[in-house]
Amino acid sequence: MSIKVSLAMNRINHSTILFLTVSFGILSFIASLSLGAADISFSDVISSLVASFSPEKDVRDVVFFERIIWELRMPRAILAFLAGCGLAVSGLILQTVTRNPLADPYLFGISSGASLGVVISIVLLGSTISLLTPVAAFVGSLVAMLMLLMISGRKQSQQVESMLLAGVALSFLFSSFTSLLLYHTDPQAVTAVLFWTMGSFSRAQWGILWFPALVITSCVMMMLAYRRQLNAMLLGDESATTLGINVNRFRLVMLVLSSLITATLVSLCGGIGFVGLMIPHIVRYFVSQGTVFGIMLTALVGGIFMIWVDVLSRLVLENQELPVGVITSAVGSLFFLSLLYFRKNKA
Amino acid sequence: MNSSNEPSTSNPTATIGAKSELLSVQHVSWHADNQLILDDISFAINKGSFTGILGPNGAGKSSLLRCLYRYLKPDAGSVKFNQQDIWQQYDAYQYAQDIAVVLQETPTHFNLTVYDIVALGLLPHKGLFTREQSSDRQQIDCAIKQVGLVDKTLQNFEHLSGGEKQRALIARAIVQSPSLLIMDEPTSHLDVRYQIQVIELAKSLGITVIASFHDLNLASAMCDQLIVLDKGKLVEEGTPQEVITSEMLSNVFGVCAEVSVHSQHNVPHISYFYGYDTHDKTVHENEHKSEFSHE
Repeated sequence: MSIKVSLAMNRINHSTILFLTVSFGILSFIASLSLGAADISFSDVISSLVASFSPEKDVRDVVFFERIIWELRMPRAILAFLAGCGLAVSGLILQTVTRNPLADPYLFGISSGASLGVVISIVLLGSTISLLTPVAAFVGSLVAMLMLLMISGRKQSQQVESMLLAGVALSFLFSSFTSLLLYHTDPQAVTAVLFWTMGSFSRAQWGILWFPALVITSCVMMMLAYRRQLNAMLLGDESATTLGINVNRFRLVMLVLSSLITATLVSLCGGIGFVGLMIPHIVRYFVSQGTVFGIMLTALVGGIFMIWVDVLSRLVLENQELPVGVITSAVGSLFFLSLLYFRKNKA
Repeated sequence: MNSSNEPSTSNPTATIGAKSELLSVQHVSWHADNQLILDDISFAINKGSFTGILGPNGAGKSSLLRCLYRYLKPDAGSVKFNQQDIWQQYDAYQYAQDIAVVLQETPTHFNLTVYDIVALGLLPHKGLFTREQSSDRQQIDCAIKQVGLVDKTLQNFEHLSGGEKQRALIARAIVQSPSLLIMDEPTSHLDVRYQIQVIELAKSLGITVIASFHDLNLASAMCDQLIVLDKGKLVEEGTPQEVITSEMLSNVFGVCAEVSVHSQHNVPHISYFYGYDTHDKTVHENEHKSEFSHE
């Protein structure tokens, strides 16, 4: 096969895959509006969506299931999609700039910082999850991020190693403070914190969605702009330098990006592990990731995966919600293990 | 030795002068961990020449190359490219438009295709938001064709053989369209066929090349100019005929060898003697351990 033909076929494949993924994403979105404790049929969902776009919309027509769709499930599905996109993309960033396939947004102490923030706010302000909780989580993760930058940004050589080690050390430091505080508070607060750390999309509201949407869209845009630099980082620090990249500065900028995404999501949804680690790997098995196509696909697959995780969390137990983190870890690791198994058998 | 039959087009000793000087290294010193790695090194590289850097392990070859490709900043002295200081008058991005570097580093675990690797050569020539044009793709295709990797274009870089990896990295350097190519030990881990192939490929580009070598015969056959380092000092500089002598081999590498003229190419050819002590040049019977005084 000549080089032109194979590349052309590759490009056609890319657009087909992207088209199929987007279509499946839309289907998943509609499914997540339809599935749940109150059963709403697909056709009702679609007619409700179509009706909302028609100019003659009468407020009195808004029936019960429409309120469920628009006020409960839609913001939830959007937040789930954004969370999946964001975590997958920030995992991709971290794995690339540290050249470590095990890097994950939670490895760098950012979520431990958020947990500490939450626990402090609960201990200081009373034993319930309040409106202030996301703010406290955000502040906590920003503090963690700044500490990490101060430690790893100073040392120029062996930056990757010091960054990873500092992240793990910070993570344990914050966890120990968290445990210490929890040890001295009442059991109710402990339960609240425990549920918070396991992750949920139930706090999704139209009013807050703009924030994660803004952060994640701008971070993905920046990643797309820097896609060549990200690829070059995979060659090694020295080679990347010879391609004109200020390696240390670039790595810090990318770390800030992925930390911002993580901080935003942790503050709104709590801890959702494993997605940032796993989704980039799954996509990487099939396509190379430093292209516009690869980045978009990673974000989309992450988002779609999370939509289905949210659906499962609402369906598995009757009249009760399963924490999202439980499902991502369980489903994710099983899927990942089977992928490893099949890859091994194929090779 | 007769150098007029040299196949190369430029003879550096004949074209001395600032006009053809591409790179000049002036009194460069660099140290790490309180140890002097490069000690007051000065030399010049002429346009179109192929320069080999020789020296035993730990002589400072890689450190010197790193100073040339702007990865290490010398503690003293300066490196000038086109008469301009590479640290004061260039930034990393501008310098990358003029200089391409082929190193031993290779990516792992990340499923990059040969095409992805070669396409990285465009990086110093592209803004953040510019897309790949069809002319860029043509350029990438051409480079891949030039190094003979057409049927591997969409293959995973990690699955290539050592020689193919090196050729893919050279293709990336071609796309970077530099006026100087620097290669750090481009032939190590390669079998003889790939060693010759890779060096001939680099030579065929028609640009100035600086490469470090361990294979002295290969360097002698392929280079116009040789620079020999030992313990961070520049000890020899000149054409292969001037540099490759049994005296140099004994002093710098601690080996005993006879230097003759290559029957085909009219360049110095080294035949090593095994089991010799380099100092008294007597054969140690039943003793295969030779003495490497500089290790």
